[in-house]
Amino acid sequence: MLLRFLLQKPKSDKMKLNERSVVHYATCDSPADKTGHLYKKGERNTAYHRRWFVLKGNMLFYFEDKESKEPIGVIILEGCTVELCESMEEYAFAVKFSCAKSRTYKMAAESQAGMESWVKALSRASFDYMRLVVHELEKQLEEMQTLHGLPGTARSHKKSSGRAKSKSISAAAPAVATLAKGPQATYNRSQEETVHFATTAKENGVAWNKPNVVLNGLCPTNQGSKTLPGESCSNDGTKPPPVPPRRKTVTGGVTSTLESPVSPGTVCFSKLHDWYGKEVTALRTQWQQDQ
Amino acid sequence: MRFNEKELLCISKQPSEKAAELGMRGPKKGDVVKRRLVKLVINFLFYFRTDEEEPAGALLLEQCKVEQEEPMAFSVAFLDESEKKYLFECESSEQCQEWVESLTRASYEFMRRSLMFYRSEIHKLTGKDPLEQYGISEEALPGQLSKTL
Repeated sequence: MLLRFLLQKPKSDKMKLNERSVVHYATCDSPADKTGHLYKKGERNTAYHRRWFVLKGNMLFYFEDKESKEPIGVIILEGCTVELCESMEEYAFAVKFSCAKSRTYKMAAESQAGMESWVKALSRASFDYMRLVVHELEKQLEEMQTLHGLPGTARSHKKSSGRAKSKSISAAAPAVATLAKGPQATYNRSQEETVHFATTAKENGVAWNKPNVVLNGLCPTNQGSKTLPGESCSNDGTKPPPVPPRRKTVTGGVTSTLESPVSPGTVCFSKLHDWYGKEVTALRTQWQQDQ
Repeated sequence: MRFNEKELLCISKQPSEKAAELGMRGPKKGDVVKRRLVKLVINFLFYFRTDEEEPAGALLLEQCKVEQEEPMAFSVAFLDESEKKYLFECESSEQCQEWVESLTRASYEFMRRSLMFYRSEIHKLTGKDPLEQYGISEEALPGQLSKTL
């Protein structure tokens, strides 16, 4: 009986992560999107500790100081919301997650500019956002190449034209602004908040097609190779990087938009960024007024 | 190193680009092949023991190398320890190739390079930065991309 109890896998087993390699990723010379000092509030201890932060993609690493060899920890940013917050601490903001019982990370920058800059960077630090931007550009390039009757470097790595390309806007839509009346303002990236765009996408709902991604001659083993597809392509104009994979929405449905020059997808995207730009301008005005 | 496990768990429950039951062998000497449900979500590869709701583990797919090893198997190795490989056994060589393709593209770093490429190509055709047209200024881009034009 006791033996059986001991052999049972306890439910509280922490999920394994390839930590050593993640630490290598944090400290290697791959480009960081942002680095700097921030104050981070401890989990149980309510004091703010000054830490050195390194943002790479959707991973926010924090070190004891700039010279540390290994990070103390990492905050996986996918799906987070970044909010300004009212705090005794100046230039404070919070990184929140929508999943149950998750911890809110309270941070503070060392200046107004620092805070603005970090809030922006963290708001955009998701894989989904990057994927949305890449899809959009890829589509633009294709359209241009079609219009100009050019040999399609973007098109050449698609399979037969009979397939409808689809893209889900709703899952990947970044910040939906809610400019609060008070001093609080949010860069809100929760999936629920993308209803605005999801509705549009659903009205034009098209059955999700299995993403068919074609290799365009790029060696699939060169994940870590030194030759960047981008670089080699601009030189000889031949092999572009393969298409990043599409993804279903997290709402569980198959909302997607047909990609075409007049698709809502295009309109959504430009609206999205237009409005995003306005949001930033409005916030900036508000902050300046509050000074 | 601390990490926010709850969020990682949340990610593991999201719809995946790719999921299948594969044979999986760890990188350590003495590791044997075990059946695992392998699921790719954004830049994480999760693996679940069959019939368990929560993943046994996750691999962050940055700074890694994905290679076909045998007609029906591929490996994932990380650049800091490239001899240590995670091996995955597939049902067919087609399935194997599909996984290699998908995993090769599943990194933020890869997408960043794609973005650089498309931005550059469009700029060549139009003389304009496509991201500016959409109101994404230099500041709106993840740091390194603002230096690509």
